[in-house]
This record gives sequence, C-alpha cells and structure tokens, in this order.
Amino acid sequence: MMKQALHANRVQLAYASVLSWTSSLGIFFIVAGYLAYVFQLLPSAASPAEVALHWHLRAAELHKVVAVPSGWDWITQLGRGDVLSYASVVYLSSVTMFCLAVIIPVFLKEKDRIYTVLTFLQIIVLGIVAAGAVSGGH
Amino acid sequence: MKLRGDRSVISIFILMMFTALLLLSPSAAFAVQTSPPVQTEWWVWEIALFVFSFFLGIIAVIAGVGGGVLFVPIVSSFFPFHIDFVRGAGLLVALSGALSAGSPLLKKGLANLKLALSMALIASISSIAGAMVGLAMPENIVQLSLGATILGISVIMLLSKNSAYPEIAEPDTLSKILHIYGIYYDEQLKKDVSWQIHRTPVGILLFIVIGFMAGMFGLGAGWANVPVFNLVLGAPLRVSVATSIFVLSINDTAAAWVYLHKGAVLPLIAVPSIAGMMIGTKIGARLLTKVHTRVVRKLVITLLAAAGLRALLKGFGI
Repeated sequence: MMKQALHANRVQLAYASVLSWTSSLGIFFIVAGYLAYVFQLLPSAASPAEVALHWHLRAAELHKVVAVPSGWDWITQLGRGDVLSYASVVYLSSVTMFCLAVIIPVFLKEKDRIYTVLTFLQIIVLGIVAAGAVSGGH
Repeated sequence: MKLRGDRSVISIFILMMFTALLLLSPSAAFAVQTSPPVQTEWWVWEIALFVFSFFLGIIAVIAGVGGGVLFVPIVSSFFPFHIDFVRGAGLLVALSGALSAGSPLLKKGLANLKLALSMALIASISSIAGAMVGLAMPENIVQLSLGATILGISVIMLLSKNSAYPEIAEPDTLSKILHIYGIYYDEQLKKDVSWQIHRTPVGILLFIVIGFMAGMFGLGAGWANVPVFNLVLGAPLRVSVATSIFVLSINDTAAAWVYLHKGAVLPLIAVPSIAGMMIGTKIGARLLTKVHTRVVRKLVITLLAAAGLRALLKGFGI
C-alpha cells in the first residue's frame, strides 16, 4: 500500500482528496433532493405527476407547458422540492470544476507553468459553458 | 468444469432477460417519442427505471463496459421519456460513475492527471459542440446517428484487442514537452511499471472526435477512450482504463452543462438512473468472480447491437 502511494504526486493526491468528499456529498445531495421532491416534503412548481405527463416531449416543448427548473433560473427558489433536486444535479456537474480549481495552486507551487495554464484554461471552458454563455442558457 | 458451466448459465440468464425484454417489448413502447405514453403512474416508471438501471449496472461491470453506453440506447427504447432527457441522464450516469471511482485510482497512481488534462481541454470543447448539435438535430436524425454509432461501438468492442503493456521505443516530442510519463505499481506483476506514450497529436485529434460523439449522444466514452490511450498512445491498459475516467469526467461535465441549460435534464429521470446504476455496479463488481465474463461481454455486445438496430429502425420510422 505504501509503495502504491509513492507513485501518486502531490497534485494527484490533492485532486483525489477533494474528489473523494465532494463526490460523496454529491451522492447524498441527489438522494436527499430527490426524496424531498418525490415525497413532496417541500412545495414544487410542478409535481412529479405533472412532469410525467409531458416527459415524452422534446426538452424545449416540455418547458413551454410545465414549469421545471433549467440552467440557473432556479437559484432564488431554493425552498422548493423540485429546485432542491435539480440543484443536487447541478452540484454533481460542478464537482470536476472544484477539483480542478484545487490543483492550480499545487501546480503553481511546483512551478509547473504548462499545467497551470492548461488547468486554468480547462476551468475557463467549463466555467463558460456552466454560465450558459454558449448554450443560450438562462 | 461444473462451476464453469454454472457461471455460464448465470451469465446467459442475466443477459437473456435483457435481450428478451428488448426484443419482445410491445411496439407501443418504442413509439413513445411523439405521442403521450400509456397512462401508467409516474412512480411505476421511477421504480422501473431504478430497477432497470440497477441490472444494467450489474451487467455493465461484468461485461467490462461503461454503463453510459448501454443506458441511452436501451432506456430510450424501453421507457416513455424523450431521448433528450435520456441523453441528459446518460451523461450524468457516466459522470457520477466516473466521480465515484476516481479518487482511489488517483491515489494509487493508476490514473494520470497530466495525460488526462492534455487530452481533455480540446476534447471538452468538442463535447460542448457535440451536445449543442445533438440537441438541435431533428429527432429522426438523432435516432439514425445513434443507431449507426451504437452499431459501430459494438463492432469496435467485438474486434478491439487490448495490450496490457505496450512497448514504446521513443516518446514523441509533444509528450516530452507535456511531461507525460509515469510509474505505477502493478498488482499482477508485483512490481513497478514505468510507461511513456507516443503519437500524442493523433491521440488529441481522436479525443476531439470522441468528445463530440459523447456530447451528442450522452454516451460516456470509455469504449473509445481506453483503446485510444492503450492502442494509439501506448499507455498500459490499467493506466488507460483509470485515466479514461478523468477524461470522461471533464468531457461529460462540459456536455452536461449544455443539457442543463437546454432544459434536457429532469431529476425524475436522472436520479433513479444514477442511484440504480451505482448500486448495480457495486453488486456487479462482487459478482465478477461468479459469472463467465467473456460470455456476458459477447451477449452485451449482441444486446448493444440489437439496441443500435432498434434506434436505426426508429430513425427510419419503422
């Protein structure tokens, strides 16, 4: 076990450490958010039954007939069950960005310019798409 | 001898169940994209999706394929969800699997972040483009291209031969500049194995194509990442499998955000799929020694080809 640990450098260990707890937290969030939604423990704009009536439609069509969260349009309504469930999925989609952000200072400390720049550019790419700038998001 | 026979029987039984379901399902189940589904209670679909994903997780591990690649073609055939939401859920299934598997692989030094980061930057941009194109395409074209892609993947899986420890005579210039090399402890050989890669520019170009397809169809991309790392770049098989997970987590994150902004992610579909698949993969890992993996793999490839054919026929309106 010791021998294996020697082959993981500081950057990998930093990434692994953040990934471990952020992904575990993500699993907890998605289960908790989902249960809050389907058991209607909190009010929702559209109940699961209403959404199910329209889930055979294309995404764009479904959003015309039923109010479900998308992009960032839910951010001010965190007290809703459907929003909590959606927010947990958003969290899961953000975990990789957290992990990448954590390794930039480690690359900087190791004076690894190439990977500092590569990682920074990767975060920019993911940040732009997360902000909805390339997909016409809300 | 008897044990071997028993393992084959268990393996075949699991797969026969899936294949029978796929082939014998009433045609109404396959024509749900444009018409409202049969009025079944929503929670019945939720439970069915969870159970289905659970079994899919089991066979995915046993067959050595990613759950994401099986999820989209099969779930879009069985369930009354539009393929937009199935693709969104497929990306999240692949992403959550990669996130939960990643940490130990990094700690052991099996996954290599420098190798992953070098390939992922441009690939993630193409993954975003793929997701945008996929969500803008007419439905029949999506089905046609998905069917063709799934059939292509079945052929790749059937024909590809991995190389556990490829020999690299000389690393290429780009991999030297990017410091892509490594060493890991191989539990099978009981010794350290050092590795390097070659053909880096070719690898980057291939990852652009893979990223585009993963984003377009929500497939996850282990089926393509591993052969490119292993056979094209020359990384050892264990390093290829482990590093593939990180490329996948970056590319699928990028594509998932497009799906989120386009409203193509419904937690009602994504969450039972993620939960079922994750529990299934854990059970599948335990069953690995009890079933005949080679038989299951061949049957899964057959199942995948059948699902691809279904998608193709749907695309033609048949």
